[in-house]
Amino acid sequence: MANIHQFNHRAMATHFEVRIADEERTYAAQAAQAALDLLDKLESYLSRFRGSSDIAQIAQLAPGQKLRLSEPAFACLEIAKRMELATLGAFSATASALQTQSCLPSWNLLPEELSIQCERGRVQFDLGAIGKGFALDRMAELLRSWDCPSFLLVAGGSSILSGNPPKESAGWSCGLGDDNTPQRLLLAHTSLSGSGLAVKGSHILDPRTGRLALRQNRAWALTDTAAESDALSTACMVLNEPELEQILAHNPSWLIFLEPDGIDRPMGSRVLPRKPEEV
Amino acid sequence: MVKPLLNRREFISATTATGATLLLNACKSDPSPKIASAGKSSLNTINIALIGYGEEGKVLLESILNIEGVRLVALCDIWDYHLQEGARYLSKVNNEVRTYENYEDLLAKEKDLQAVVIATPDFCHAPMTNACLKAGLHVYCEKMMSNTIDGARSMVKTMHETGKLLQIGHQRRSNPRYLFTKNRLLEEAKFCGRLTAAQSQWNRAVKEDFGWPKKYELPASTLTKYGYKDMHQFRNWRWYKGLGGGPLSDLGAHQIDILNWWLGTPKSVIGSGGLDYYKNHDWYDNAMIIYEYPLEQGVARAFYQVQTTTSAGGGYYEMFMGDEGTIKMSEDPSICSIYREARATQVSWDDLLQKGYVRAKTASADDAAKVDVRETAQLAEYEIPVFFNKPPHQPHLENFFNTIRGTAKLNCPGDEAFSSEYSIHKANEAVATQTRIAITPEEVRA
Repeated sequence: MANIHQFNHRAMATHFEVRIADEERTYAAQAAQAALDLLDKLESYLSRFRGSSDIAQIAQLAPGQKLRLSEPAFACLEIAKRMELATLGAFSATASALQTQSCLPSWNLLPEELSIQCERGRVQFDLGAIGKGFALDRMAELLRSWDCPSFLLVAGGSSILSGNPPKESAGWSCGLGDDNTPQRLLLAHTSLSGSGLAVKGSHILDPRTGRLALRQNRAWALTDTAAESDALSTACMVLNEPELEQILAHNPSWLIFLEPDGIDRPMGSRVLPRKPEEV
Repeated sequence: MVKPLLNRREFISATTATGATLLLNACKSDPSPKIASAGKSSLNTINIALIGYGEEGKVLLESILNIEGVRLVALCDIWDYHLQEGARYLSKVNNEVRTYENYEDLLAKEKDLQAVVIATPDFCHAPMTNACLKAGLHVYCEKMMSNTIDGARSMVKTMHETGKLLQIGHQRRSNPRYLFTKNRLLEEAKFCGRLTAAQSQWNRAVKEDFGWPKKYELPASTLTKYGYKDMHQFRNWRWYKGLGGGPLSDLGAHQIDILNWWLGTPKSVIGSGGLDYYKNHDWYDNAMIIYEYPLEQGVARAFYQVQTTTSAGGGYYEMFMGDEGTIKMSEDPSICSIYREARATQVSWDDLLQKGYVRAKTASADDAAKVDVRETAQLAEYEIPVFFNKPPHQPHLENFFNTIRGTAKLNCPGDEAFSSEYSIHKANEAVATQTRIAITPEEVRA
């Protein structure tokens, strides 16, 4: 039985887990606490519900105005911008703005001054489809600096990020679907995120049309980083298969699974991680 | 006609009728230094150093980076792990700094500084502040001023002797919501009537001890040099007598400073508390105290509790209770509330609304010719009409830097902060001795 310590925390309107393997318990607990403290700090930058967060302040900008951002907020928005381009606009961190505005707001990042500029509309970010993944990536960096390389980080059950597998194990056993689903992969140094309609119903807007995403019931994305998998799994909910194939052709490190086939018909050229039964 | 009662410092967005829209617009028009607009006026740059890059130092840094005309040129921390983390972070935000382990080296080598921001453990504050003031620098020092009354007193003495500025980091004193509520609602509108009581708290849940990455453990010689028994004490200094001032100082200082700011100096304190939960702390882990404040109209008693074993109890706040109303304040706007007693009939909510002292929580209908009929409506709710969305420490730092420039006056200079400092140390004494401690106005003068 692997020596795994688990620590739980509530943040970003969901639950997070830090699992650390093969480490002395007190040290693991302190490392996990440091990672969870970092998570709370990241939330203070990224939450649209905190009046003093970067994201809440951005929503106050008038067209033409700029705002200096904290480094984490800037980094997260850089990834969001990149994912928007990489997914042909199927992922947008401002998709929810379509509930109150006729078109997506326009914004631009200014790296030299670590600022954001509002170009058009009201830049109302909702980082619900990327912020949790971004937080997992930053928490993983911290755990590695603590020399705790064997970890599994979980955000709300919808995004996971795995480090080294526990000793004598081929990977962290991660299921695609509900508890104890037989569709499982053994993951290490990989992130897996899922999106779907089962919990919240139809809640994902297609940023390109403003309509509810109904194309998939569930989709999963497997990538190297959690910010990418988080955003990509959401984009998968609104993309059709030709679009997905086009995107995957440019991103060979991504793998996508759609219901009902799941891991039986992965999309993308990345090698499928091993299944438990293959070990 | 709305009385022009809103001054710029308070950043107020009050309005008689339209609520959120005007509030929002009023805030947008605020020339926040963080918003980089075209054609900005050029301001003299103030070169500063940050001494201490722990949790509080990180919070302060983020606000400092938002403030125009302030350039961080040096960073100091005895722990290389934090120091390098800070330098890396600053490099990412295009702000290269020189780094120092020792603040005395920093003072010896940095010859173009105007000010320092100190965010180190409490027992370092007095020697560092005194040295920096004597080196001709203005100082922003985190609260508590010191872990001893003598240490705090020495800081005020040096401030007077050098003529340099000393701002203590009680950041709520520059918070526009607090400023507005104190100046307008409490004092001008007499919202509470006669103040008879106050209640305040900050409770925190049990947490793991602060640890450290093994590979970054400080050598024993370095720890000894800087006053720590071991790495665990260095990382958890707040629990140790001789390094920090205990929970009433760590957490309580925020609320007790507000009690003193709004009510004046207490005349006595009683307290109870103990080390009942943790096995490895010096300081008690819970305390409940009561101050007596001699107000013009009579005594008001103020209860304060700090728990480090539970976060229950509704967060952190200060509640001022009077015979006509109650104001509940917090740095967290969602906790703030105002309540009027039924007997407070001389001034109506509508009057308060008209004068901009309060804001209706739900906006009234835009079209007065329309009315909707449905189930019985709930009573209207009112709130403090201040919209404030900067990081909580930023206005206090801005106040400090603006005072250096000669365009403001310190909101919490060392001599004023000493009153709170003294009251907190006396509360610790009351808890330790389980007795009533008298406090005289003479004692609280540094």
